Amino acid sequence: MEKVVPAPSFESPREPPAEDCDACGDSNSTGNGGGSSPASVSWSSDDFEPEWLESVQKNGELFYLELSEDEEEAILQDSSVDVPVVNHVRFCENEPEVIHEISRKHRQNERKLEKLTKMLKNKNLISKQSLKKKATGKRDVRASGPASILKHHSSHKVGVVVQKQYKDVYIYINPTRQSNAETGEQLKLLESLIGIAHQSPWRKAEKHRHSTESRNAEEEKLVVHGLIPGSSAIRSGEILIGDVLVAVNDVEVNSENIERVLSCIPSPMQVKLTFEPSIFELEGTSQQRCKPPQSSMNNLLKLLWKDHDNDPQFSIRSIPHIIMYLSLRLDSDTSKDEQEILYQYPISEASQKMKSVRGIFLTLCDILENVTGAHIISSSMFLCGKLIHVAYWKESDKLLVIGLPAESVPLSQLRNMTADVVRMLTFMYGSLDSAFCQVENISRMDHFFCLFFHQALQPAGLHSRISPGSHHYDACSALFLYNFPGVHWLSLPQEIKVEIDTALSDLEAGDFAELSEDFYDMRRLYTILGSCLFYKGYLISNHLPKEDLTDIALYSRHYCLLPLAAEQRISQLVIWREVFPQHHLQSSKNSCDGYREPEARYFLLIIGLKHFMLSVLLEAGGCSSKAIGKPGPDSIYVDQVKATILQLEGIDLSIDEILESPSAPLVSSVDWFLPSSRDKLESLAPLPLLSKWQNPSHSVISPASKKMLFGDSTLRTRFTSPLQGSGGSSNDGDNPEGGRGNVNLHAAQSKSPGGFDKSSSLFKITKKKNILPGPFNLGSLKKNLSVKETELYNVMKLTSGPENTLFHYISLETMHGIFITPTHTEVAQLGGTIHPQLIKNFHRCCLSIRSLFQKTMMRETKKTAGTRRSLESKKPNSGLHQVREHGVLFECSPDKWTDQKKPTPPVMYWVIGRLFLDPKPREFYVCFHDSVTEVAVELAFKLSFGLAL
Amino acid sequence: MWEETGDSVTLLCLTASSGVPLYCRSRGGSVKQQLPFSVIGSLNGVHMFGSNLDVLLTAACTENTRVVWKVFHNSITLIVLSSDEGASDFSLGRLLENVFSAMVLVLGLEELVNARNIERLKKDLKACYRLIDSFLEPGKCSADLTHYVECAVVPSRAILQVPHRFLTFQLVPGLEVVLLCGPSPSLQYVADELVKQFWQPLLDLLKQTARASPRCLPPSTSLAPGILGLLLINQEQRKSLFTVQPHGTQAEESEMPLKSRLCALRSFYALAISLYFPSEKSEGSTVPLQEEFQAGFSHHPLHCYIISATHKAYAIHGRQHQLFLLLKPDVPTFALRSLATSTLQALTAEDSAL
Repeated sequence: MEKVVPAPSFESPREPPAEDCDACGDSNSTGNGGGSSPASVSWSSDDFEPEWLESVQKNGELFYLELSEDEEEAILQDSSVDVPVVNHVRFCENEPEVIHEISRKHRQNERKLEKLTKMLKNKNLISKQSLKKKATGKRDVRASGPASILKHHSSHKVGVVVQKQYKDVYIYINPTRQSNAETGEQLKLLESLIGIAHQSPWRKAEKHRHSTESRNAEEEKLVVHGLIPGSSAIRSGEILIGDVLVAVNDVEVNSENIERVLSCIPSPMQVKLTFEPSIFELEGTSQQRCKPPQSSMNNLLKLLWKDHDNDPQFSIRSIPHIIMYLSLRLDSDTSKDEQEILYQYPISEASQKMKSVRGIFLTLCDILENVTGAHIISSSMFLCGKLIHVAYWKESDKLLVIGLPAESVPLSQLRNMTADVVRMLTFMYGSLDSAFCQVENISRMDHFFCLFFHQALQPAGLHSRISPGSHHYDACSALFLYNFPGVHWLSLPQEIKVEIDTALSDLEAGDFAELSEDFYDMRRLYTILGSCLFYKGYLISNHLPKEDLTDIALYSRHYCLLPLAAEQRISQLVIWREVFPQHHLQSSKNSCDGYREPEARYFLLIIGLKHFMLSVLLEAGGCSSKAIGKPGPDSIYVDQVKATILQLEGIDLSIDEILESPSAPLVSSVDWFLPSSRDKLESLAPLPLLSKWQNPSHSVISPASKKMLFGDSTLRTRFTSPLQGSGGSSNDGDNPEGGRGNVNLHAAQSKSPGGFDKSSSLFKITKKKNILPGPFNLGSLKKNLSVKETELYNVMKLTSGPENTLFHYISLETMHGIFITPTHTEVAQLGGTIHPQLIKNFHRCCLSIRSLFQKTMMRETKKTAGTRRSLESKKPNSGLHQVREHGVLFECSPDKWTDQKKPTPPVMYWVIGRLFLDPKPREFYVCFHDSVTEVAVELAFKLSFGLAL
Repeated sequence: MWEETGDSVTLLCLTASSGVPLYCRSRGGSVKQQLPFSVIGSLNGVHMFGSNLDVLLTAACTENTRVVWKVFHNSITLIVLSSDEGASDFSLGRLLENVFSAMVLVLGLEELVNARNIERLKKDLKACYRLIDSFLEPGKCSADLTHYVECAVVPSRAILQVPHRFLTFQLVPGLEVVLLCGPSPSLQYVADELVKQFWQPLLDLLKQTARASPRCLPPSTSLAPGILGLLLINQEQRKSLFTVQPHGTQAEESEMPLKSRLCALRSFYALAISLYFPSEKSEGSTVPLQEEFQAGFSHHPLHCYIISATHKAYAIHGRQHQLFLLLKPDVPTFALRSLATSTLQALTAEDSAL
């Protein structure tokens, strides 16, 4: 680990390319040659250039994330001080770089922290070396070479590395805020930026006078005389009065140059301050570093998994998990060990074991294919006392292997996740080969899979900052929804929808002056294929084909963009990258119907502003000019997309309103069905719940009353919701008061989707019960009917019971690539103690239900594709391959109970999934109270009519 | 190799320590020839390689085939390859347990575990081929899957260290009595004296039962017409009742072929047990060998059902009984629950047997 200057400090086991060393050498030599070049000039922010420009990587990719101000604060307060999170998260990579002059274009793939470090070093090389001498043995290379943060391990977890007489403190600095706050007089930066008060001996009396006279101070030690309240310094808790600031980002400072050094900080970032502690400080806390090096310390990860107490990376290290990309073609001369491993992540002890048995994966893949003539899909094994599932993906002569413990990820889920990983990587890099086999992608892959495993193994760690209710909701749904083939859709009223659609269409038309061909008399750079708009993580408008939408949604979900946007943690997000949407690329290969996709290149542009996130798919080639090389983001397009979002900014209030208000099918909390809370509720609204509950099997509502109440409105809903586009709002239109009027009551009152909202009529119904015989008899009466008739019969009686017993639902429109489910706010509003458990159960159950449906769908597609032989149909079907509906009844008895004398009456609820194949594949999952009459079960599924897009 | 064939099951038995193949039995598949030795070798080798590194390979799955490995008593490795669509890790695991139990039944555990002469062991094992082959056939009953008594094999690997005799006597056509006894009463004595002594008085009843045998139900009980098959398990008494002809043998084929009913009910059972209802732990093994999906639920599943294009199925998991019903597709979904509950009540009410 301890290397000598100027070797870079990549602790990753992979050696960085040799050019990196050259880069360092270069930087040093230029530093020597240039002396203290007036670098600060080029660092002063240029108003005309977008702030993300310097983040563009060499290959044109950009991932620029600027957090909101609140978020910056939160980072400082929440996490350990040293979290190497600056507000610009970027994917760094091992690339050669030449720094002849400090100009943005040449240092694009650098983090700002490094840049500053380098630049400062270049300026004061000599003093840096003198610092080195003082601190001999103190630092590892990180201090000297330009450290890549990404590769940089998190050895300084505690935030302070005390070595000999120095300690390093990492604090966050935001020069822009300071300049905003104090407009007039130029402040002493040491105070305003960091919050350290230092007074030159002769100024001690005039404490609040700040001027540039500190320049006159000669080589004076920067003793911390005081800390400014509320400043970064005091919040860090590590800087003590009496400490001496000796270096900023390893540049030696004294009272003379400190202001100059600090003025070089161009934008919000994190800096390392090196202090010589006061003699009073105890030296006990030293030697805390030297944890085993971790690969790929990750900023985005840190940002998202702000684990309260420990390093997130660390907590999953002990869980065996691995991804490997293996080559099946083995060279006969095995000169190199492990040559078949093209890529591997992570490198930890637990995964080492799985790596050591890669022979199993390779052999199994080989022999099973020989024997059965089919690719291997999965295998299971015991390892470290845990059952591990391994999913395989074979592509030509390469094998992708992903292993995860069964307790975290069930096998069916793992297969889906693996398929999604493959899809995502293909979308991002064109093929698995190009993703894994190119050296410059390795760090990106590390990052990708770091995120992947965290989402798989620690879904709860994510979203830790949202309000508790929705947090839990997210946590337990995360695993299920991670590879749900859809995006959470939010239905909006017609007028808002029109407004959004118009704005997006305007953008897509590409009609703005700069983009028109006539304006510059040249072909436009890109054609906009389509766009989709997210608000707080919900999809609110989509102008993309389903395949593209799914690709983009997978990407956004994987990089956790949606939760970020949901919490307004983003102040600005700009993502640009070349993508390979298979939907377009494949159809361009086989031209069938006269039309063929142009041979074009595709680019993804995602712009996030606050809660909005607009993803745009661009095409270069075709009717626009061909893309040459690796084009970076075009600022005109970025600006136009931004403008589109800004144009829509006004509607956020109305969308928020919709988010706050309960959506069409109201859900209720299971806790309301417990006797204790029932008492409370009865004061709010007299509930017919009790009687119903005790006598569930008889509570069949007479069809007549039902028809009167619901029949028309439900049917109307059904018919007014057309298959495409605009129908979503009709449901809202139907029952505005029913939807919103009683929200605050929180009563478990009946809110049928059809919308009957008069509680008076409600009671009439309950009195009418027992008119019909029990559902069983009803069933036998009707049993002569064909299935279809029976279903139709049930459609007519579509209703819920008198009280709302629907707990949760998910409606997946496979055709549109979207799903509809109660919003986070809605779930959070329900609260309760058992309800979160219920939702967790619901999602887990959906996993198993969905795995059955997937079998059915696979069979269907096979059937339609005609690949199956006729022999297949003659075979006795096993029964599990044509499942259309699957339900499970759960019993939950609350653990602790206020009234200890009486035994707790258990609450029973159903989780049911149904698969519709006609006219288009749809999946619907509901969870409702057991007291719903069996007839009314049908209701739940009919809801989906009202939910249609 | 067997791409073009339908269902096929291949069972490999090897010694765990040396990897010597003991036998290979297979069912189905148009290709009659056995797996080449190299394949058998590598299937076993890959497992051995793992166990040397403390990694226990348990299952693998390709698009059309499942493979399950299991080692018994550190001495016998059983490997099964099944291309049956209905096969699950659960059912294949049970299959291997049954096969091993059969071997124990015939040879005795001692003989199996500490076999000195491999060649002799191979020869001895030929005696259980018929029994083993019967397991490979698509199930005719449920006991092989449920391990609740209804079958020829003791579910728990009872310690059959001393030689026992396994005797069957046909009482009336279609009805046999099976005895497991030590060396003392001679075959002659049992056949001539004991059987007569115990079963003679019941002959009428036996004949009656034999006639109704596929139904498995006393003639007095009648089930709802929608029911195509049922499996009732008494967990405490380890007994089960299984039938796919609840209304007698006559003219029921039109609804759904018997074979499909068997298959559907069995796979529904396997589904419910492996996903929702906790199955009792098999003694000895502390670690679950299959994924314990139900462990992830915070509440207890009580009922579950599936609706498929060809049938419906409903399961109840009670404290003492488990009921699995196979129903006609035209039984309304909302009636399933009450139908199942009343069936369970009818079958368990005053009836002493279950």
